[in-house]
Amino acid sequence: MADKKDVKRASLSISIGGMTCASCAANVEKALKGVPGVSEAVVNLSTEKAMVQYNPAAAALAAMKKAVDDIGYEVVLSTANLNVTGMTCASCVEHVQKAVTDLSGVTKAVVNLATSSAKIEYEPSITPLSEIRRAIKDIGYEATERTEGQEALDREQQARQREVRRQLINLIISGTLGMLVMIGMLQPYWFFSSFVPALLNNKVVLFFLTTPVVFGPGRQFFINSWNGLKRGLTDMNLLYATGIGAAYAIAVVNTFWPDAGFGGKEATFYEAAALLTAFIILGRYLEAVTRGRTSQAIRRLMKLQPKRARVLRDGQEIEIPAEEVQIDDLLSVRPGEVIAVDGVVEEGYSSVDQSMITGESIPVEKKTGDEVIGGTINKTGAFKFRATTRVGKDTALAQIIKLVEDAQTTKAPIQKIADRVAGHFILGVHILALATFLFWFFVGFSQWFTPESTLVLTPYHLTAVGAFGFALLISVTVLVISCPCALGLATPSAIMAGSGKGAEYGILFKGADAMEGTARLDAIIFDKTGTLTRGEPSVTDVLSMKDFSEDEVLRLAAVAEKNSEHPLGEAIVRGARECGLEPEDATSFNAIPGHGVEARLNGRGILLGNRRLMAERKVTFDGLLSQAERLETEGKTTMFVAVNGKPAGIVAVADTLKETSARAVAELHRLGLKVAMITGDNRRTAEAIAKQVGIDRVLAEVLPEDKASEMKKLQAEGLKVAMVGDGINDAPALAQADVGIAIGSGTDVAKETGHVILVKDDLMDVVAALQISRQTLRLIKQNLFWAFGYNTLAIPIGMGVLYPFIAQVVSPELAALLMATSSLSVTLNTLRMRGFVPAIRRQHYKGSSKHLQVPAVQTAG
Amino acid sequence: MKNIGTVGALIYTVISVLGAGLFLLGTLAGEYTLVERIGGTGWVFLLSMIILMPIVTPLVKRKVKA
Repeated sequence: MADKKDVKRASLSISIGGMTCASCAANVEKALKGVPGVSEAVVNLSTEKAMVQYNPAAAALAAMKKAVDDIGYEVVLSTANLNVTGMTCASCVEHVQKAVTDLSGVTKAVVNLATSSAKIEYEPSITPLSEIRRAIKDIGYEATERTEGQEALDREQQARQREVRRQLINLIISGTLGMLVMIGMLQPYWFFSSFVPALLNNKVVLFFLTTPVVFGPGRQFFINSWNGLKRGLTDMNLLYATGIGAAYAIAVVNTFWPDAGFGGKEATFYEAAALLTAFIILGRYLEAVTRGRTSQAIRRLMKLQPKRARVLRDGQEIEIPAEEVQIDDLLSVRPGEVIAVDGVVEEGYSSVDQSMITGESIPVEKKTGDEVIGGTINKTGAFKFRATTRVGKDTALAQIIKLVEDAQTTKAPIQKIADRVAGHFILGVHILALATFLFWFFVGFSQWFTPESTLVLTPYHLTAVGAFGFALLISVTVLVISCPCALGLATPSAIMAGSGKGAEYGILFKGADAMEGTARLDAIIFDKTGTLTRGEPSVTDVLSMKDFSEDEVLRLAAVAEKNSEHPLGEAIVRGARECGLEPEDATSFNAIPGHGVEARLNGRGILLGNRRLMAERKVTFDGLLSQAERLETEGKTTMFVAVNGKPAGIVAVADTLKETSARAVAELHRLGLKVAMITGDNRRTAEAIAKQVGIDRVLAEVLPEDKASEMKKLQAEGLKVAMVGDGINDAPALAQADVGIAIGSGTDVAKETGHVILVKDDLMDVVAALQISRQTLRLIKQNLFWAFGYNTLAIPIGMGVLYPFIAQVVSPELAALLMATSSLSVTLNTLRMRGFVPAIRRQHYKGSSKHLQVPAVQTAG
Repeated sequence: MKNIGTVGALIYTVISVLGAGLFLLGTLAGEYTLVERIGGTGWVFLLSMIILMPIVTPLVKRKVKA
């Protein structure tokens, strides 16, 4: 129910989540009644709704939500994603945020300048979406509902192109006329008088050239600043409007009423008004062009979304739009085609380029039973696959796009300081402009002014200017030279570029805080099984006695274990097959519980088992015992093989380290991180593995449920800790960690716990994630340094602190050029991320062939 | 809502006028031309309005809501 502005009481129905019993309902009622302005609250447990009677002037929805949240329940609100166009600086973000959060039904709004978006949490029954959009429109911006996928891309691109085109037209008009005005103003100076007609220096002609610039392209600044001022908001437009307006007004007065005392005909600032407008528009145009490029990664992902799919229905191959593919549809793919949705190969064989999703540089072979990912490209063969579980918005690609988009709308903790400064920036600059005016009017002019004074980089003197004209000139320069745009763009543009870069390599940061957190890590803890190791045992060593070959020992062991369902037995059979030894069927088979197995093959008796079994059967392995002990020290499980009561050899089985584990750990050490391993294994085995992989701190014999508390202990040491796990039994530890990194999620990224999701099962991506986040944080710091540094330096110069020493002041048009350059430099600095390749990736590709030759390090399970 | 706007506008206009008046008084102590006095007063009034509008409006709104 909508609130009624003229009535003191209004009623509201809100959805409450998390209630399980009558006492929950009573608690929620009590909490709601405790909110000032709420007169009545009735909670219905079955419908999970609360009916609230309240005074809209006294009770806000945000207060009700907080009251319910505080006691452990949840007010379920709607979320709207809007595209907001027309925002140019951090103040615009503040304005939109303020305009939206001022609405009674809105509890939270996150506005992002870099993505031109707003994520709004609201209660539609109090404030419908149309009202939110109207509130944004009222302060001079356009809000449209954010759509997904290709449509969103198209709409966003169209809006951006419109903005670019609009600013380009404005730039052409203001630039051309501005140049004419400048040439006209310079006509009496230097060599201009030789070829520029004197008519162009006529003040009335200059008036007619400048007026279309101020009221044409410059009109947007006056309209937007007025719209803001009406609601008590100030933004960059106001700085521009005041600067342009003041310069223009003085010029007009001095042209038509030269004796009015504002400096006369020689003190017109037409070029200031015209070029100021042109430079500001140049800045806006360049920013509109370049800002689109910082979001290129997400665009590239969106472009991957296939439009058409070839589906087999009733034996016929028909082409349909990709979003119409249903679960269980059988699809066919030809070489060079894009795979339409996620699925499982049913027929055929091919290699698929998955680099766009996983970052893998080499195409992956696909055969029957293998998963394929929508949006990837089929390279060589043709195959058929079935859309098994995920179509439409649920495909891996759609999930990744959503995850990256969501991350880009969040704010990094480092942004808080920039937001705080930018929020009060415009106001502060106006106060400084007023103080500057008062100082130069009452003190500075009489103390330091000389008629020989010039404007920086211009030839003419300020001879005819009086105290007011001089103080006004400097005051206007202060307004124009300050630049909060750079402050507003510094962090979000870098986060956007960083998260996009991560997505290119299959590294998905769930938010800006995850990215900043990753960059600031001190320690990384790896889960052992399935993360550092493959998670399944395999044959690592085969030792044979004099009369047997290693192959024969392995083959005989595999014969004995052929029908075994024990993981160690399966590992031996798999190991034999990998060596090209197909185990024959034993003629008889007998399991000896807790010890091993015995089998017969072609009249030979095979005995496979532990040391105790061999001792019982009086088989001695004297020659191999020392080696067996060495293998056991390394954490491997040894199985003894005897044939016809004589020792044949030993097969060692262990969970093997992943190919990249040792190198990833070494790289992390090189990056200055402490690396630890957490496992449920006994200490001896755990330490053996840790030694092989190069980890110096081992948390052994830790039950899955205790991993989170071990994490807390490390955090208590003051370390920022990341946990890397496969997410299967690590969820609490991943959640407890400062940064939870879920590895090898494959295509189901949405379900993953953790702050950073690694699509591939490759530990090198942990290193890459660290390098990307550190580079992003470096960019943010550079951007903030530049933004703060520029304003710290430029504003005092604009205020004329150097004037007593050099008798020169910065002209408003030069101030505008400096301001435009400042905000552009931040965007350009961020664009450097486009060419960034994580160092580990560069090394990995260069050394990939060599790397593959290195045998896997072996460990115990 | 309209009342809030009017009250706010009244407050920041009065303060700005007072500020501009103070400026005018200040100019009387020096040797300034009439145009300088009027131009300066206008500029001080304009900047004062711009500074005070975003400060006063939310303050009044908050006060009325409370």
